[in-house]
Amino acid sequence: MIIKKMRHIIPLLMIAATLLPGWGATFYLSFSQHSTQNLFQTRDAVSDQISAFSLAIDQDFSALSLLVKAEYSAFREASGLSFFAADLGLDYLVPAGRKSAFYFAAGVAGQFYRQTYEPFTSLGANLLGAFKTYLAPSSIMKAQWQGAYAAYKDPLFDYLSQTASLSIDKYFASRTTVKADAEWGYKYFLHPFVPEPVEAAPLAMPMSGGGAGGGGTGSGGGGQHYQGGSGFVPRYSSAGGGAGIGHVSVSLLTAQGIGDAVGLSASAVRQWVVAGENPFLSIEEFYFVQNPSADSFSWEGHQLNGRITLAFPWDVSLKTGYTYSDKTYPGVESLGADGLPLGLVRNDRRRLLEARLQKDFRRFSVFLAYSHVDNSSTDPLFVWKSHFIMGGFEWNLPTGRKGGV
Amino acid sequence: MRSMIMVLPLLVALAAVPATGQGPGHFYNVDTEIGIEATVREIVLEPRYKGTVPFLVLRVEESGTAKAFDVEIAPSWFFGQDVHGGEKVKIVGSLTEVPGTKPTIIARELKLRGETFKLRDKRGFPSWQGGPQRKRGIRRFGRT
Repeated sequence: MIIKKMRHIIPLLMIAATLLPGWGATFYLSFSQHSTQNLFQTRDAVSDQISAFSLAIDQDFSALSLLVKAEYSAFREASGLSFFAADLGLDYLVPAGRKSAFYFAAGVAGQFYRQTYEPFTSLGANLLGAFKTYLAPSSIMKAQWQGAYAAYKDPLFDYLSQTASLSIDKYFASRTTVKADAEWGYKYFLHPFVPEPVEAAPLAMPMSGGGAGGGGTGSGGGGQHYQGGSGFVPRYSSAGGGAGIGHVSVSLLTAQGIGDAVGLSASAVRQWVVAGENPFLSIEEFYFVQNPSADSFSWEGHQLNGRITLAFPWDVSLKTGYTYSDKTYPGVESLGADGLPLGLVRNDRRRLLEARLQKDFRRFSVFLAYSHVDNSSTDPLFVWKSHFIMGGFEWNLPTGRKGGV
Repeated sequence: MRSMIMVLPLLVALAAVPATGQGPGHFYNVDTEIGIEATVREIVLEPRYKGTVPFLVLRVEESGTAKAFDVEIAPSWFFGQDVHGGEKVKIVGSLTEVPGTKPTIIARELKLRGETFKLRDKRGFPSWQGGPQRKRGIRRFGRT
């Protein structure tokens, strides 16, 4: 499948590269091969392999930059999950004196699925405004606002969201950086409920998902069992309307450089849901698929992270990290094997170990990445362990003029 | 395929846009390339080329000699990376020395916090727009 698509994409790249010497743009090409033991991230592990190919073009016009990106991901076994994604983005830098600047960005993005996962097909738009200033040469303050809208094939998932954040950091002579961050965010699902049926319904209804294209086998079965479902169990509501969930979070990061080759960092995030709850009775996750449940709005709890970066000779680097998270999903029920609520709000505790080895060449990089997840949950479906392996290359081809710019 | 066809006119339209110009006498000269280790003293946004957005410029002090240099990084780096005063850096780049002014290095490679950033290739072609180190647009900041 991926070869088929590359047959269309590579001639485009060659035409553009031939036509545009001196144009000043950068072509950015990447290919990665993923292997997972647990595609649907549930106790019923299903292996799969994913090939992902992307082509991006980046062009600066004075203060304005344009990014065009196309991406295709092919799933070997669960071919219904294969998707095409496209992005178009513009950003604009506005200096405000010698030590400050505003940054504005606007983008549209689409993800297109076929077959059983078509409900995830979406079109969206993003707006971003940011301000960065040096309070002192060793201290930076940033403020940022971001808004997003996405419309899905299955309108249950349509949403509007916004986040605002403020961060301040300080670098010390001991080569220590300390950074504090505060964020507020709100996500509003425009119509996440399904109409009340005429007859009495069970608490946990089978997956209908609005436009999901036929019901599945209900919750508790694992993503791979859904036949046309989308991994969400919606709630009934005769009133209809929307539902929102809002959070505030604070985070603290400290980073330490040791010699030329070692970097250490540790961070902690605490997040509280301060308004509303998740509108869905149950939500699932899918590896490598944009999913409304896998966002920063759905949980409260905390996350701890430690990271080591090692730089070796010959442009080889190794990054390893460990993340522990304890997340509760307000509004989401823990469901038993029979699909009925257990009377517990879903809570997941996850241990994630990651490593990435990379070698940079003049024009491209090759990498190998490994991660291991150990997830415990109050919902038995989400008690699982698995590892993921990824390898690939990233290649960039600038067509800029020689010299200053 | 339909989506690919839609991208093609965009590429052609972009091809009509002329490349940005550069100031006379200020270009990457491989014959004057040097490498230094230094400490960042100040970070500023400064106009460098006519018709372009100001560049991120690091005012640095060379380790050992205490000689001061201006290091020209890239226009897009102000938001892309957080460089602090006091940080140690290693720079490879083209040196421009005009009597009566502070020597300037057009950086080709910058090593910061153990990570090496390639800003230009060995012939001086800018590569700051892309590459593994930089994410553009919304992704530069965003949380999904």
